Amino acid sequence: MEDLAQPILNGILLGGLYAVIAIGLSTMFGIVKLVNLAHGDLMILSSFLSLVLVSWLGISPFWTLLIVVPAMYFIGYFIQGFLLNRVLGKELEPPLIVAFGLSIIIQNLLLLIFTPDARSLMTSLAIKTIPVGKSLNIPAIYLVDFLAGSVVIFCLYYFFQKTYMGRAIRAASDDEVAAQIMGVNTKNIYAKAMGIAMMTAGVAGVLVGTTFTFYPHTGPQYLITAFGVIVIAGFGSMRGAFVGGLILALAQTLGAQFFGPGYQLLCGYVVLLIVLAVRPQGLFGTV
Amino acid sequence: MGEFIYKSRYYVLGLLVLALATVPLWGTEYIVLFCLLFCLYLALSQMWNLLIGYSGLLSLGQQAFIGLAGYTVAVMCNYYGVYIWLSVFFGGVLSVLLALFMSLFIFRMKWVYFGIGTWIFAESMLLWFSNWKYVKYGVGFFIKPTTPVTMNDLFYASLIIGVGSVLLVYGLLRSKLGLGLMAMRDDEEVSETMGVKVFRSKLYCFLIAAFVTGVSAGVLYVFQVFIQPYKAFAIDWTVILVFIVVIGGIGTIEGPIVGAFIYVLLSQWLSEYVSVSMLILGAIAIAVILLAPKGIMGTLQERLGFEILSPRRR
Repeated sequence: MEDLAQPILNGILLGGLYAVIAIGLSTMFGIVKLVNLAHGDLMILSSFLSLVLVSWLGISPFWTLLIVVPAMYFIGYFIQGFLLNRVLGKELEPPLIVAFGLSIIIQNLLLLIFTPDARSLMTSLAIKTIPVGKSLNIPAIYLVDFLAGSVVIFCLYYFFQKTYMGRAIRAASDDEVAAQIMGVNTKNIYAKAMGIAMMTAGVAGVLVGTTFTFYPHTGPQYLITAFGVIVIAGFGSMRGAFVGGLILALAQTLGAQFFGPGYQLLCGYVVLLIVLAVRPQGLFGTV
Repeated sequence: MGEFIYKSRYYVLGLLVLALATVPLWGTEYIVLFCLLFCLYLALSQMWNLLIGYSGLLSLGQQAFIGLAGYTVAVMCNYYGVYIWLSVFFGGVLSVLLALFMSLFIFRMKWVYFGIGTWIFAESMLLWFSNWKYVKYGVGFFIKPTTPVTMNDLFYASLIIGVGSVLLVYGLLRSKLGLGLMAMRDDEEVSETMGVKVFRSKLYCFLIAAFVTGVSAGVLYVFQVFIQPYKAFAIDWTVILVFIVVIGGIGTIEGPIVGAFIYVLLSQWLSEYVSVSMLILGAIAIAVILLAPKGIMGTLQERLGFEILSPRRR
């Protein structure tokens, strides 16, 4: 039991990070019924953005959030406004393929500019741990991830439930035609929603960059993580994202504990496939 | 013009196949290599087209079959000295078995969920193979055939697979199963009420696609000689297939032919700069979806009635 306490603790903290990786993807699916296959790559793009700012200005990666997050809003706004909006609504394939194309373009652009080397955003927190009791240690950076993730998800929840803008976005997604009749520019609303989803991806990108190493090609890996969280939770469920993140992260850290680090990701995928086979709509989803 | 092409289509096609088949006699080594790759990518993308264009199955995990078949060939040749073409065939058989196993989990899923399910399967295979001692972890194999394989052998094997895949899809669509598939694509629920066995038809397509994908990948790996899990099970395979089919035209038999030609041309031309050619492919795919969502052949068919291999009954 002593050995299990550490992986369980790590899993719970990591779950918060996974939830924030997934929340942008989940939001876009909930609002526009769009599966943004470029989500992981856009997230890694913000990691690289932060990297550039760190090396230019010599500031801590956490301060770069002030620039990265607004920048990601505009990137998201333009992607939705100029590309994805034009193919929405006809059939299901076109938006998927445009997003897929974007993913490949971002990956290869990053590869051309930054070479395939491993990068990371260095902070003084990376090596610090907070001892709890005799044998438990809380990695400081994981704690930051968890707290930041919780704050982002709470803010997003508050935004969609309580603010005028958030309600307008939900209204547009509930009934597009009715919203249009009432004079709402739904396409513009969708672009703003994508911008907001990309703001969460920006936070996730910086957090991932400070916690793990990243390459131009790591985007799809985080896309699968995000999918995993959402598939466990059910698409479009914001509450579920947190639980989904916890389950996936726990499966990984416990899997690594029992079978060795090489099997960490594999155990997460196996749990995912089992959930998919037993409950295809996810634990919290309704179909 | 459409009518003329339609009437003389068998001659045109026959001439094209004949030209392809005699390439080793008149072509340079480079042209043979080009045609070999073209045939193999044609078969791979034709199968993805069968899945998405006719069965409505969005598979993002074709690399699971590609990797498994490649590894089957490597293991059978290197460890057991099995005859090379027999091991290529077994690669196809094992892919079918994998597809059957996968279907237990993923056939309850719909649309994007299905895609994610297949992708997660492929990623799991990648992790499993790179942690598996029997296949030398991530180090990989040099495939050593027991009997020497010449370039001509490889070329004719891929020619048979490439032309065979087109004929297979054509024949399949003209059959009763194909009629059901097209009814399903137009309206799944109505076709089910009319007696189309939706689940079974989709499963057949998935299995057939797995077999052809496996065999093509086997030949491709005999040609490439070296196999490694990070390349064999990479999502890049599916990316390529998506681009080929999208550019050529989803749900047309001619689409993958045109798409595969463009892809091989581009990848050979920019072979030194892989990331640049992927960038261009991505941009072309987005442009095609925005400007001509039916792809090159789909748009031609719509505008000019230009159809060579039509599954339509006249």
